[in-house]
Amino acid sequence: MIKGKCWVADDYVMAYDIIIQEYWTSAIDPDENSKWVMAGVKEEFNKENAFKDKGYTFIVAAHNFAGGGKSIEHVITGLRGAGIEAVFATSFARLQFRNATNYGLPFVTCDDIDKGCETGDELEYNPESGIIKNITKGTSFQSVPAAPFVAEISEAGGLMNYVREKIAKGEPIE
Amino acid sequence: MGMTITEKIMARNSGRDHVVPGQLVWTDVHTVMTMDYLGKTCFDKFRSLGKTEVFDKDKVICVSDHLVPPPNQKFATMLNEWREVVKQHDITNFYDLGRQGIAHQIMVEQGHVLPGTISIGTDSHANTYGAAGAVGNAIGVTDAAVAMATGKAWFRVPKSVKFNITGKWQPWVMAKDLSLHIMGMMHWNGHLLYKALEFTGPAIESLSMAGRMTLCNMTVDLGAKNGIIAPDKITERYLKGRTSDAWDMISSDEDAEYDQVYNIDISDLGPTIALPGKLDDTVSVEKLIGTKFNKAFVGTCTNGRLEDFAIMAKIMKGKQVHRDVNMILVPASQTVYLEALRAGYLETLIEAGAAVDTPSCAACAGIHTGVAGDGDVVLSAGNRNMTGRMGSKNAEIYLTSPSVVAASSIKGEITDPRTFDV
Repeated sequence: MIKGKCWVADDYVMAYDIIIQEYWTSAIDPDENSKWVMAGVKEEFNKENAFKDKGYTFIVAAHNFAGGGKSIEHVITGLRGAGIEAVFATSFARLQFRNATNYGLPFVTCDDIDKGCETGDELEYNPESGIIKNITKGTSFQSVPAAPFVAEISEAGGLMNYVREKIAKGEPIE
Repeated sequence: MGMTITEKIMARNSGRDHVVPGQLVWTDVHTVMTMDYLGKTCFDKFRSLGKTEVFDKDKVICVSDHLVPPPNQKFATMLNEWREVVKQHDITNFYDLGRQGIAHQIMVEQGHVLPGTISIGTDSHANTYGAAGAVGNAIGVTDAAVAMATGKAWFRVPKSVKFNITGKWQPWVMAKDLSLHIMGMMHWNGHLLYKALEFTGPAIESLSMAGRMTLCNMTVDLGAKNGIIAPDKITERYLKGRTSDAWDMISSDEDAEYDQVYNIDISDLGPTIALPGKLDDTVSVEKLIGTKFNKAFVGTCTNGRLEDFAIMAKIMKGKQVHRDVNMILVPASQTVYLEALRAGYLETLIEAGAAVDTPSCAACAGIHTGVAGDGDVVLSAGNRNMTGRMGSKNAEIYLTSPSVVAASSIKGEITDPRTFDV
């Protein structure tokens, strides 16, 4: 069970606004990337640690979160480093859905979640049942549960750990 | 039930007879590509998996494209570290400055993409590989590291969407116009998220390899998983001499199931332009006739190929770029550069007043040659036009085809190449 405050994003939060151009060539590092995460999304976040300092645990978004065709993983490490433990949206862009899966950061698809939350609401997420409770509003949402493979990666702490373990044990990857 | 070409490729490369959309599979990858600014991280991560040798030294393709030639010390140092790590892993196919090109161009042009197989790359426009009948997919450095170690990647089998393209191409109308037309029709990152886009029909069968690359390239900007064109005679001719690996004419089954099918007749399709800010905000050239701009840019993995410079040379021969326009051309690879030089296209274009720069991603990523400054209005044959993409947030980028850029640059305002006096 994960509990914390949420930040509600607009539609179409683009990957290249989550991490703006000048940081694309930075090292992929949660501490580094989280300093300027969301800098292009809202002017208020365009200050060092501005988003991170808000202390959000969840992001709630609508259609095509982290879209716009950028495959850089700084997006995911930036969110992680800022303390984000899950993102709920009506849909996600595939490049970043993939990266999130690989880092074990739940990108959870949930219809209408964007309409049921306001920034600052206290949410509680149960990864097993997929139920997202809005404690502030006293409502709840059923999200799409993670596919077994995605859950397995998450449990291993990300794809790197998952594959590292398989290699160490000499197990096939299939 | 039959399978689409993408499903067949996923099945074949995961050792299965059949796959269905939604299924998660680990597949073999034919090649894995990475570039200068992310490559070192890929290799570092790869070693952290407990491996020292990549799965196949011939199948890990390394390219210097985003940072070359280095415009500043930071990039120069990054490139030094990159070269060191590539050398350390004894990689066969290293396309460094001097033999470089934009990674996606290199992958197809140098025969590292094979019909019926899967190739992945750490840059979003890896969708380009679909032009050669492969599944081309963009991935992050983590997936690249895993593929370098194991020769495998995981995929969720996508639903397929068919675009059946019929009709005859109008003069000066290019694959880019069709790309932008589809962008406007389907909306940027709208209805095609995760989908495999398959392009078929008579207008595709007659399309050159360069045009196919343009079309598949921009499917990532539609939010799609991949874009693909089944291999045919044109593919066969193109691949001859580029690869010695065996491949076959794979195609979708007659009874394959599609999520959606769209029929587009291109007979009336004219030159198309995306307005600054959003890729799907497209209009036909007629709507913008007379619009002034001060920078013209042709290059990138979308439109930096021989055919693109050939059509420009045809339009610009004996003419002069307007005095209020700076034109920058960047061939997509050293091979394209040399071919365009030998064919006389570059001579014609330089005589017309165009500046030609070393093959690289150039200003497209906003971090290199020819970036946009405050107040610039750019007419670009690249792939992205969002605010700040080419540098300044106070610059505007119109996206279009090389033929529109060529005709417009002579006039100093947006011009329809169909009515231009060639």
